[in-house]
Amino acid sequence: MIIEALIGVTFLAALVVFVAPDEYAGKLAAALSALPVLGSLWMWAQYDASGNALLGGSIAFETDVVWLTLGGLDLHWFVGVDGISLPLVVLTTILTTLAIVSAWTPISNRESQFYGLMLFMEANLLGVFTALDFFAWFVFWEAVLVPMYFLIGVWGGPNRRYAAIKFFVYTNVASLVMFIGFIALVFGLGDSVSSMRLPEIAQALRAGALGGFAGLDAATLKTVAFVATFLGFAVKVPVAPLHTWLPDAHVEAPTPVSVMLAGVLLKMGTYALLRFNFTMMPDVATALVVPIAGIAVISVIYGAMLALAQQDLKRIVAYSSVSSMGYVILGLVAYTTYGVGGATFQMIAHGLISGLMFMAVGVIYNTTHTRMVGDMSGIADRMPLTAGIFVAGAFGYMGLPLMAGFAGEFFIFKGSFASTVHSAMPLFTAAAMFGIVIVAGYLLFAMQRTLFGPFSFDGEYEITNAPTHDVAPLAVLLLLVIVLGVAPDLFFGMIQDAVNPILSGGGL
Amino acid sequence: MVPPQYYLLLSAALFCIGLFGILTRRNALLFLMSVELMLNAANINLVAFSNVWGNVTGQTFGLFMMALAAAEVAIGIGIILVLYRNFDDVDVTKATTMRW
Amino acid sequence: MVGIFDFAPAIVLLPFVSFLVALAVGDRLPKGGALAGIAATAGSLLLAAATFLTVAGGRTYDATIYTWAEGIEAVDLTFGILIDPLSAMMLLIVTLIAFLVHVFSLGYMNDEGEVGLPRYYAGLGLFTASMLGFVVADNLLMAFMFFELVGLCSYLLIGFWFREPGPPSAAKKAFLVTRFGDYFFLVGVVAVFATFGTAAFSGSESFPVLAEAALHGEATVNTFGFAPQTWFTIVGLLVLGGVVGKSAQFPLHTWLPDAMEGPTPVSALIHAATMVAAGVYLVARMYGFYALSPDALAIIALIGGFTALFAATMGVVKREIKQVLAYSTISQYGYMMLALGGGGYVAATFHLMTHAFFKALLFLGAGSVIIAMHHNEDMWDMGGLKEKMPVTYYAFLSGSLALAGIFPFSGFWSKDEVLYETLIHGLGGSPVLLAAYAMGLLAVFFTGFYTFRMVFLTFHGEPRTQTASDPHSVRWNVKGPLAVLGVLAATTGLVNMVPVEKLLGIGGIDFLHQWLDMSTESLNAHHYGELIPYSSAYIGGEATTVAIGAGVSLGLALAGAGLAHLLYNVPEPVEHTDRLGGIKTLLYNNYYQDEYQVWLANGVTRPVARVANKFDQGVVDGVVNGVSSVSLFSGSRVRRIQTGVVSNYAVLLTLGLTALLLAFGLLGGWFV
Repeated sequence: MIIEALIGVTFLAALVVFVAPDEYAGKLAAALSALPVLGSLWMWAQYDASGNALLGGSIAFETDVVWLTLGGLDLHWFVGVDGISLPLVVLTTILTTLAIVSAWTPISNRESQFYGLMLFMEANLLGVFTALDFFAWFVFWEAVLVPMYFLIGVWGGPNRRYAAIKFFVYTNVASLVMFIGFIALVFGLGDSVSSMRLPEIAQALRAGALGGFAGLDAATLKTVAFVATFLGFAVKVPVAPLHTWLPDAHVEAPTPVSVMLAGVLLKMGTYALLRFNFTMMPDVATALVVPIAGIAVISVIYGAMLALAQQDLKRIVAYSSVSSMGYVILGLVAYTTYGVGGATFQMIAHGLISGLMFMAVGVIYNTTHTRMVGDMSGIADRMPLTAGIFVAGAFGYMGLPLMAGFAGEFFIFKGSFASTVHSAMPLFTAAAMFGIVIVAGYLLFAMQRTLFGPFSFDGEYEITNAPTHDVAPLAVLLLLVIVLGVAPDLFFGMIQDAVNPILSGGGL
Repeated sequence: MVPPQYYLLLSAALFCIGLFGILTRRNALLFLMSVELMLNAANINLVAFSNVWGNVTGQTFGLFMMALAAAEVAIGIGIILVLYRNFDDVDVTKATTMRW
Repeated sequence: MVGIFDFAPAIVLLPFVSFLVALAVGDRLPKGGALAGIAATAGSLLLAAATFLTVAGGRTYDATIYTWAEGIEAVDLTFGILIDPLSAMMLLIVTLIAFLVHVFSLGYMNDEGEVGLPRYYAGLGLFTASMLGFVVADNLLMAFMFFELVGLCSYLLIGFWFREPGPPSAAKKAFLVTRFGDYFFLVGVVAVFATFGTAAFSGSESFPVLAEAALHGEATVNTFGFAPQTWFTIVGLLVLGGVVGKSAQFPLHTWLPDAMEGPTPVSALIHAATMVAAGVYLVARMYGFYALSPDALAIIALIGGFTALFAATMGVVKREIKQVLAYSTISQYGYMMLALGGGGYVAATFHLMTHAFFKALLFLGAGSVIIAMHHNEDMWDMGGLKEKMPVTYYAFLSGSLALAGIFPFSGFWSKDEVLYETLIHGLGGSPVLLAAYAMGLLAVFFTGFYTFRMVFLTFHGEPRTQTASDPHSVRWNVKGPLAVLGVLAATTGLVNMVPVEKLLGIGGIDFLHQWLDMSTESLNAHHYGELIPYSSAYIGGEATTVAIGAGVSLGLALAGAGLAHLLYNVPEPVEHTDRLGGIKTLLYNNYYQDEYQVWLANGVTRPVARVANKFDQGVVDGVVNGVSSVSLFSGSRVRRIQTGVVSNYAVLLTLGLTALLLAFGLLGGWFV
C-alpha cells in the first residue's frame, strides 16, 4: 500500500497547496513534498525484491486488483517497483522537493497554483514509474503533460505560449503513435493475454505468442509496433531529430520547471523505451541495432555541436541533455549488463546533474536577469559560492570521475563497447564517446566567459551572493551527485539485478 | 377509416412547408414558427400511427412533444430577445460574430 | 598482522582530508589552510618513506580496497592499491615534492598577501591526493579516474587567479587539450575491459600477462577480429592518447606553456611530480603491455625523440623564465618517452625521478626569482641576481647543471642512460630508434644552450632594471625547499651509475636496476627486458659504446652551455637569437602549433556548430513548424464552411439528408 499512499499523499498535497494562500504556498509545498521523499527513501531501504518486474521477478510493494472489465481484457490497478523503477521514484521525489525550494525566488505570482501543479505533476510521475498495467500507466503518462503545459504556458518567458503548445502537441502526437503501436501488439496477442498488465504482455511477447493482426503477419506487426512505440518514446527522450521541442520548452520554462523537465520528464521516455521496446521486443531491437545506435550517436554528437553554438546558458544545458540522453539509447541497445544497467544509472545521474545545472543557471539568472553568455563576465567574483557549485556541476556534466555522470557514462561505454549485438558496436561507442570532448568544450567556454575573467556586467542589478534557500538545493544535488559517483552501487546493484533478466532468453 | 397514407402526405407537406420556411426566411420569429410546423408534422405521424395500431403510445409521445414545443418556444423566444438586444435585429444572418 | 601496507590508503587520504579542511574551514585557519596541507603531506611523506623501506625489504602489496561497482553476472570495477618498487618510489617523489611545494607556497602565496588561499590549498591538497591515488592504482580504470581528477585540479589551480583574463583561458586550454587525449585513453580503457575482462596491472590475471599469453596462443581474448598483435597495438596507442595529452607530447603539448599562468609552486607540482609525470608513469606502469607491441614502442620513441628536440628549439628564444622551463619540461618528458619506446624502462624511470627533483627545484628557484622581481618574469629585466640571492642562485645552478646533463649532476646520469639504451637497441637493428636517438642527441645541445642562457640572463651580468638591482628578499620557507632539492638534484644520479659500472667494472652500483627488479614477476625490469622486441648491438665493445655515448652527449651539452656562456655571460647581453631572423619568429611562435589548434577549435568546430545550429533551427525545427503551419493553414480554409449564418447550416443539413436518403435509396434498391 505504500505506493498508493505515496501517490495519494502527493495528490492530496497538490490539492491542499492549490487552495492555500499564496504567501505560504511555497513553504507548505516544500514541507508536504518531503513526505513522498521520506516514503520513497523508506521504500529504498526496505526494498527486497529481485529480478525484473516484467519478466517474472518479484515485485516490491505490489498491489494488483481488477479495476474494470472490458470485453476480453481486464484493466487492473497494478502497481509495484523493481530495481529499474525504484531509483527513478527516489529521483522524482527528491528532485521535486528541491525544484519547489528553488522556485521560491523566481515564482512570484499565482504561487499556490504553481506549487499545486508541481505536486500534481509529481503524483503523476510517480504513477508513471510505478504502474505496471498499461491502461493505468497510460493515464498517468498523459496526465503528466497537463500540469507541464500550464507550468510552461503560465509562468514561462516571453514566448511561453508557443513553447507550451509545441511541447504539448509534439509529445501528445508522439503518445498517439505509441498508443496505436502498442494496442496493435495487444490485439496481435489475442487470447494469449487476458489483461493489459505489462508483465503478462511482456512474457507473452517474449514467449513468441504474437499472432498477426490487421493483415500483418506476426513478424511485421512486431517490427511496425516496435518502430511506432520507439518513435513515440523517442520524442520524449528526446533523440535527434525529434528534439526541437526541448530547447524551446526549456528556454521558456521557469527554472524549477526546467529542472523537472530535464530531470524527470525526459527519463519517462528512456524508462518507457527500456520497459516496452527493449524488454518486450529484444529480437526486433537487436535486428534494428544499426539504426538505433546510429540515432544514439547522432544525438550525442549533434546535440553537443548544437550546444556549442548557443549563447544562452539554458539552451546550452538543454541541448547537452539531448547529447547525454543519446548515451542512454546507446547503452540500452547494447544488451549487456553494463550497457543497459549503465543506461538506467545514467537516467538517475543525468537527472541529478541536469537538475543541478539548470538550478545553477537559474540562480545566476535570478540575480543578473540574463542568461546570455556575452552579457556578463567574472561573476565568480561576486557570487563565489554559486560559481563554485556551477563549476562542480559542469565538471559533473563533463563526466568527471567520482561524480555520478562518469559512472553512468563509463558503464554505458564499457557495456556497449563489449556488446555482441553487432560487430560495429565498438565503432559506434568510440564515436559516441567523442561527446565527452565536445561537452568539455562548450561548458569550459561558457564558464570562462561568464564566471571568470575581470568582472563586468551591464545590467542595472546588483550582483551579490544568492540567498541560502537558492544555494541549498544546489548543494544537496551536488552532494548526491558525488555520493552516487563514489558509491554507484547504492543503486547500481538493484539496477543490474533487474536488468539481467532482459538480457537472457526470449529471442535473444 | 382514413388510410395512413393520407396522414403521411399531410405530415410530409407540413414538414416541407416548415423546411421551406427555414431555408428562405431570415426573421428569427418566422424560423421559430417554421420549426413548430416541422414538430407538428412529426406529431401528426405519431398520432396517426397510434390510431392505426390501436394503442396510445404514439399519443403519449404526441403530448410529450407538445410540452416540449412549449418549452422550446419559451427558450426560443428568450434567445430571440437576446439576439435583438445584441444585434438590434432579429435577422438570423446578422448574428455571425462567433463564426471563427 | 597490521603492516605498513595497511596504512597505504592513508597516503592518499591525508592530502584529501587537507583538501576538505581547507575547503570547509580554511578561511578560519591561520595561513589559510596551509598548515593542514603541510601536516598532511608531511604525514604522507613519512608513510611513503616507511612504505619505501618495507618495499626495500622485498615485499610488495596488491589489494583491492573498495568495490566501486559490483557487477552481477559481469566484472567488478574496483579500486585497489598496488605497491611495488615503481609505485613506492613514485610515492616518495610525489609526497616529497608536494610537501616542499606546500612549504614554498607559504613564501610565494601567504607572504605575498594573496587572497583566496583556502581555495589554493584545497586545490593543492586535492591535486596531491589525486596524483597519489593515480600512483597506487592497481588497475587501468582507477588510474584513469584519478588521471582525470588530476586534470580537474590542474584546471582549478592554473585558473587560480580567475579575475584576470589569462589564467581562466589557460586553464580551459589545459583541460580541453588533455581531455582530447583522455578521450582516446577512455576508449582504450573500455577496449581493455572488452578485450581482457580485467584492467588489473599486476597478478597472473592482469591484462599485460593475458596479452602476453594470447600472443603465445596460450589464452584467448576478444580481439574484435584483428590479429592479437595488431589489436594490442591499437589498444596501446589509444591509451597512449592520454599519455600524450597529459605528458604534453607533440602534438598535444600546447597547453603546457600556457599553464604558466598558474602560480609558480603549482607549476612546480604539475611539471615535476604530478600531472605531466602521470602520463609517463602510466606507460611505465603498464610497460608489460607496451613491450609486446613493436609498433607502439616505435611510435612512442619517435614521439619522444621528436618532442625532445622540437620543444628544446622553442626554449631557445623565450623571454620569460617560466616559459623556458615549460619548454624544457616538454623536452625532458620527450626523453622519458624516448627511453620507454627505446626499451629503456629503467632509464625512463630514472629520468622521471631525477627530472622530478631538478625540475621542481628549477621552478621553485624561478618562483624565488619571481618573488624577488615583484612578479616580473621577463629575463631581460633581470641580471646580476647572483650576489643578491646566493641560496637561490646555487640551488638554481645545481638544477640547471642537472637539466643540461653535466657530469656529475643527476640529469647527466639519467639522460645518458636514456640515450644509451636507445642507441644500443637502435644499433641492434631498428633504424626508427636510431632516428629518434639522433633527435634526442641533438636536443642535448639545445638543452645546454637554453638552460645556461636562462642562468646567465637571470643571475649573471649587471642588473638591467631597478627591481633587479634591489630585489625583494625571500624567507626560510623559500630557501629551505630550494636547499633540499638542490642537494637532491646534484646527487640522485648516484643511485644508478651504469656507465661507471660498465667502464670501471664495479658491480652492484646500478641500484635502481636492482630496485626495479625486486617487483613481482610480471612487473619487474628483468621481465620487461625479456619482453622488448629489440636486440642490442655495440660500437666496439659494451664499454666503448658507453664511453662514446656518454662522451658525445656530455660534449654536446658542454658545447651548448659554452655557446650560451660566450653569448650571454657578459655584463650587457643582447638578444643574439635576433640574428636567426625568420626562424626566430617561427620558434617564438612555437611553430604555429597553437594557431592551428585554435583554428581547429574556433575556425572549424565553431562554424560547423553554427551551421548545425542553422540547420537545426531551419530544417529540423522548420519541418516541425511546417507541419503546424500546414495544419493551421488548412484549418483556416476549412473553417470557412462555418459561416455563422443559420440558414446556410440548414441548407447543408437538408442537402446532407437528401443526399443520404438518395444514397440509401440507390443502394437499397428503392427506386427499382
